[in-house]
Amino acid sequence: MSKRYVMVHDENKCIGCQACSVACRSINQVPDGVSRLQVRIEGPFGEAPHLHFKYNRVSCQQCEDAPCVKVCPTGAAYVGDDGIVSIKADKCVGCMYCVAACPYKVRFMNPLTRVADKCNFCKETRLARGEQPACVTVCPTDALCFGDAADPGSEVSKLLATKVSYQDKTHLGTKPRLYRIPAKRGGI
Amino acid sequence: MIELCRRDFLKGAGAAGAGCALATALPGTLAAMGAQPLSGSEKAIPSICEMCSTRCPISARVLDGKAVYIEGNAAAKSFGGKVCARGGAGHSLLYDPQRLVKPLKRVGERGEGKWQEIEWSEAYSILAQRLEQIRREHGAEAVAFSSKSGSLSGHLFHFAKAFGSPNTFTHASTCPGAYVIAANAMFGGKVKRDLGNSKYIINFGHNLYEGINMSETRAMMKAQTDKRAKLVVFEPRFSIVADKADEWYAIRPGSDVAVALALCHVLISENLYDKAFIERYVEGFEAFAAEVSAYTPEWAEAISDVPAKDIRRIAREFAKAAPHAVVDFGHRATFTPEEFDMRRALYAANVLIGNFERKGGLYFGQKAAGYNKLAGEAVAPVLGKPGVADMPKPTAKRIDQVDEQYAMMWSEGGIYQSVIDATLEAKPYQLHGWVMCRTNPMQTMTDRAKVVESMKKLDFVAVVDVYISETAAWADLILPESTYLERDEEISDKSGKSPGYYVRQRVVDVIGDTKPSWQIFRELGLKMGMEKYYPWENMETLQLLQTNKDVALLNHIKEKGFVSYGKPLMLREKSMVQDFVAAYPGAHAADEDGSYASLLKFKTPSGRIELVSPKVEAMAPGRGGIQYRPVTLKQPDELYFIQGKVAVHTNGATHNIPMLANLMSDNAVWVHPSTAEALGIKDGDAIRLKSSVGVEEGKALVTKGIRPDTVFAYMGFGSKNRELVRATGKGIHCGNLLPNVTAPVCGMNVHTTGVILEKA
Repeated sequence: MSKRYVMVHDENKCIGCQACSVACRSINQVPDGVSRLQVRIEGPFGEAPHLHFKYNRVSCQQCEDAPCVKVCPTGAAYVGDDGIVSIKADKCVGCMYCVAACPYKVRFMNPLTRVADKCNFCKETRLARGEQPACVTVCPTDALCFGDAADPGSEVSKLLATKVSYQDKTHLGTKPRLYRIPAKRGGI
Repeated sequence: MIELCRRDFLKGAGAAGAGCALATALPGTLAAMGAQPLSGSEKAIPSICEMCSTRCPISARVLDGKAVYIEGNAAAKSFGGKVCARGGAGHSLLYDPQRLVKPLKRVGERGEGKWQEIEWSEAYSILAQRLEQIRREHGAEAVAFSSKSGSLSGHLFHFAKAFGSPNTFTHASTCPGAYVIAANAMFGGKVKRDLGNSKYIINFGHNLYEGINMSETRAMMKAQTDKRAKLVVFEPRFSIVADKADEWYAIRPGSDVAVALALCHVLISENLYDKAFIERYVEGFEAFAAEVSAYTPEWAEAISDVPAKDIRRIAREFAKAAPHAVVDFGHRATFTPEEFDMRRALYAANVLIGNFERKGGLYFGQKAAGYNKLAGEAVAPVLGKPGVADMPKPTAKRIDQVDEQYAMMWSEGGIYQSVIDATLEAKPYQLHGWVMCRTNPMQTMTDRAKVVESMKKLDFVAVVDVYISETAAWADLILPESTYLERDEEISDKSGKSPGYYVRQRVVDVIGDTKPSWQIFRELGLKMGMEKYYPWENMETLQLLQTNKDVALLNHIKEKGFVSYGKPLMLREKSMVQDFVAAYPGAHAADEDGSYASLLKFKTPSGRIELVSPKVEAMAPGRGGIQYRPVTLKQPDELYFIQGKVAVHTNGATHNIPMLANLMSDNAVWVHPSTAEALGIKDGDAIRLKSSVGVEEGKALVTKGIRPDTVFAYMGFGSKNRELVRATGKGIHCGNLLPNVTAPVCGMNVHTTGVILEKA
């Protein structure tokens, strides 16, 4: 694998404004009723005045050990040389095994193309043009950082080296490549 | 619902996101026109957003002839090339099947919703004939003209003047008016806040993380992250900005003025204020100090529920961070009739620490002419002002000119709600016509029922809009405006600490039979024989007049979309002055202390900052100085009803846009668990709110993020006309609960009242 693309979501900086989600829908032309990316504002938790929200990014976790890839009977789901979990549309038979296998519940059948769909870091729509994923580009508060974690000089590598981060459901052994910097009161 | 669509426009455009929800398409809409091609630039075109009033620089391109992708224009540094959810969804408005693309004439009763498509020529004939009739019978002043303030409002007001009416209004008195008026009274002009360089920010519910103003939102986040600035938030609701704060106080609605005055009290009584600054620049300090001597933190605690010890500590911390500290003067609040003094009290806290023209404080913008003069050379081009030399000056008095105390508002957009009084009660004289351009008073003004009554009573109502908005639904004539993605406009000033310009440019070719409003009002003017007031032909002519026929400059601005010139400058910031002087050999010499402090002037009658204003005193006796006056916002058995902004919608404008409606179509009412329990209300239950003017039904959101004595709803929802299919009947309509009350001096439409909450 030549590259190891990862995404870091800083929940301190995230304001849950949905700019990422709208940009994702627009550039990837995601149809109504399904979505590749959402940020859910959950809470408030705690007791007043010490309340806090959680800003939960719900999107493909780009697992290194991806259950969706393992169960795909045709090889449509695969991990690319860039580390991005991708889909070969012409090989997808719409069996929905991947949708069922995803422990993060972020895969869906695209109602227009009838192909299994999910976030692919804007691989075709943005990365191919040498641009950052749409969500990263538009984020008003710079809460997202995307890049090659295999390159120690990259911004993501530096960020992961200096900030406390966590991944979702690591106990499943999926090794997600979506990292989260947890929010803490006064943490920004 | 999809099977009910007769013509699936989206198949033609190939775009996702906008299912047709009407069994029969409304006349005049894109759905009724059938599939329309989407042609435009596949190369990103820099332009200006119009999904809210911030008007961020954007960059947009057409994707495969099917959709439009919008992002920020990276050339605009303080905006960071970013765009919010609303801005990113602009294309969803562009090819929404429910968007209006043909002029419409009412054929049923007013508000009945029966429309007939007509040609522009007929629309202009109707407009010209009806307006001329009113002018003949009642005088030109009997027609009111209103527009959301913005790039094209000037064209409507130009027409109004040419027609002869002084009655022009913006939405200022329903939104941003008060802080502008308060700044005019104290400083003689608008001020900006340098949040990005601030080390300590005190915020009274200016929810920059939901009501996104891109450059300020980014600046505040930058201050918090890079500079470790402390953020203290006073707000009755646990908003996103409260969540991101270091300290949050659930202040009692409408008591901000008390806390702000108590902060001033501590600064003065503990000698924490900047005496040199006060001496040099401020009028009325002694009187102000005497007034605030009574406003102790303990006094404020009793009014606001903010602990006195915290107010005292915060004031000390604030003073310690001076001058790189700021009390944010807010945006849309209009909590109480004491709005004017609330804003002045917030400004006063800034004045006391002398943060003017210092990093992290307040400052005046630097426009080209003044900046060049300081630099001693033409650093930035000065734009020409295309105008007509002999424009008529209407002789009739404005309808809001009956009360001298509002004089400062007349030039800032007027008292919008006076249209209602003039129509219903002939105060000061009877209005007969109303011409509107992209404004939705039925949502943004208060007392919706009265707005409806007014619309019914008028002889003639014409509306220019992109949708059959809640207000447009009551018009006689609706003219479809091209969206901002289909328009070219004049170059706009976007100066900050140094001069800057940007321009709105067409990204896609016009869809359907729509026109930009500048063209609509020009063509109407020509139809009515007013050629002499329209010596220009089109937008290109106007742009060229602006650049003084410098084609290269015009092309440069168009190519970049956003250009800024020179070095950032704050007059009292020595390092900035030093850089400025070093960059421009002919620059004005710095003062002995290395700053431009001697150049800081205020355009008030005294030439200084006026903590006490004789001018205001003359206009509104008893109101020259800043003071606390108790207000009654609710009865003892009622709850405070407050509203605010959300990041995915803009006031009364975006709730029908498919992509945004899909994200959020309801405004469940925030209720504290203890209040909910006492009334037997559970999360998601149907509830009813009753105020002195209206009743609304909606859903409860039971949350700890609100005071027990207060309910909150995001504004702009609950449209009552069937035309806005995605928005109608969803959520509660705030304007229907708010009584029509105008705040003294600033003329703001008061937006807090008492409500009875019950299970529906």
